[in-house]
Amino acid sequence: MTEEYEYITDDIEAIVTDYNLPESLRHRIYETIEDREGVTIEQADEIAQAISSRYEDSRVDAHDPVGTVSAQSIGEPGTQMTMNTFHYAGVAEIDVTQGLPRLIELVDARKTPDTPMMTVHLEDEYAENRERAHEVVWQMEATKILALGDISTNVADMIVQVDLNEDTLAERWPTVDNIDTVAQEIAETIEDALGVSTRRSETLIEFGPEEPSYRRLLQLVEELRDIVFKGLEDISRVVIRKEENEQTDGEEFVLYTEGSAFGDVLSIEGVDASRTTSNNIHEVYRNLGVEAAREAIINETMETLREQGLDDVNVRHLMLVADIMTNRGEIESIGRHGISGSKDSVLARAAFEVTVNHLLDAAVHGEEDDLDGVIENVIVGKPVSIGTGDVDLRMGSLETDGGAPSDSAAEHTDD
Amino acid sequence: MVDVSQHELVPEHTLIDEDEVESMLTQYDVKRADLPKIKRKDPALPDDAAVGDVVKIVRDSRTTDKAVSYRLVIE
Repeated sequence: MTEEYEYITDDIEAIVTDYNLPESLRHRIYETIEDREGVTIEQADEIAQAISSRYEDSRVDAHDPVGTVSAQSIGEPGTQMTMNTFHYAGVAEIDVTQGLPRLIELVDARKTPDTPMMTVHLEDEYAENRERAHEVVWQMEATKILALGDISTNVADMIVQVDLNEDTLAERWPTVDNIDTVAQEIAETIEDALGVSTRRSETLIEFGPEEPSYRRLLQLVEELRDIVFKGLEDISRVVIRKEENEQTDGEEFVLYTEGSAFGDVLSIEGVDASRTTSNNIHEVYRNLGVEAAREAIINETMETLREQGLDDVNVRHLMLVADIMTNRGEIESIGRHGISGSKDSVLARAAFEVTVNHLLDAAVHGEEDDLDGVIENVIVGKPVSIGTGDVDLRMGSLETDGGAPSDSAAEHTDD
Repeated sequence: MVDVSQHELVPEHTLIDEDEVESMLTQYDVKRADLPKIKRKDPALPDDAAVGDVVKIVRDSRTTDKAVSYRLVIE
């Protein structure tokens, strides 16, 4: 480990390792010593000692109400957040909920975000070649009939005519050479979706209701507009952007989508399934598990705060929030009733809202209250179980007969 | 099927044996049921995990190099 450092001798390493410091801090010490081009053993000990005491100071004390501190640390900057902003930095075309609404949405664990979106990274040649990147785009973006050609209704003959645009077909089905195959595929999709039989000549598709009916004809046109011929229904738009790749120092194409279908997108060929993300934490949970959901919650909350210039909120608070939300193996919301409205204490619940109902229900069910929480103890006038309130002082008594304390009494005072 | 463990959001999950579980529980002075949970159907869980097992999770931490965490497998 120390091989990479020129000035770190085994003695210095032994001294630094002696202090119980986390790995990353230890490396910072080595780096500092390295910058100074070596220090004496005494100096190294002094540095390590100073850092160790600062580290001990900054640690959370036992019985510290970390949850309350986190709530305040996120809540205060929250008051400075905008009530509503749109726009995603860089990708101006895609609107994304930000600011306070987004933060609320995250801790509420809403099933679908207001503006779902994905950042899709591509693999190998798909990331370097715009044409190949477009192939992936057409696999994701929901393609409806209006994008493919013109629809006209012929009321006299009771038929709907779809005139497909050959250039568009060639563009959206780049892997299929024969336009006729594509047109046939589209005709079949229409048959399956609408339950009608179609007639096709070249790129012109015709169909109509079985029985002549004006209403049915219009209904068919309505339904036709909603059919997804290619791509994923949930993704309404995809934007391609050229971006720097941090890992390879090169440039790559990155896709931003309006709408999200994380699971489906991960299995599309060309998509880099190791870096693609969604802003829907539930989709991340379903496809990648709780641990990934926890990471996603931290990333999303951090990003939301950073976007508003509030990045001085310590990440530990956000980590605590994410830990609590994923503690039971699935995503739970933090609402005004605590985590998913689970509060053990009757008194705590009664102190908040609809006091009588809570007390009445508790009485009917014969509930007990262990008086563990803060609110209960405030109500009954006992010290709360946080900070110094949770430390008991035990005292022994000293029996004095004017002389020295007896052995047994001395033992007691040691407590 | 996509290999979930390759995703950068997914930390390493490993099943640990009973001895290691016991020593971990004594070290942190907690009961098994007090551990954070993970569903047995969780996509990131190793296939041979059963209810009652404990998985060790090694995360790339934001505050230190690696952070070790444990989750109890539940139904």
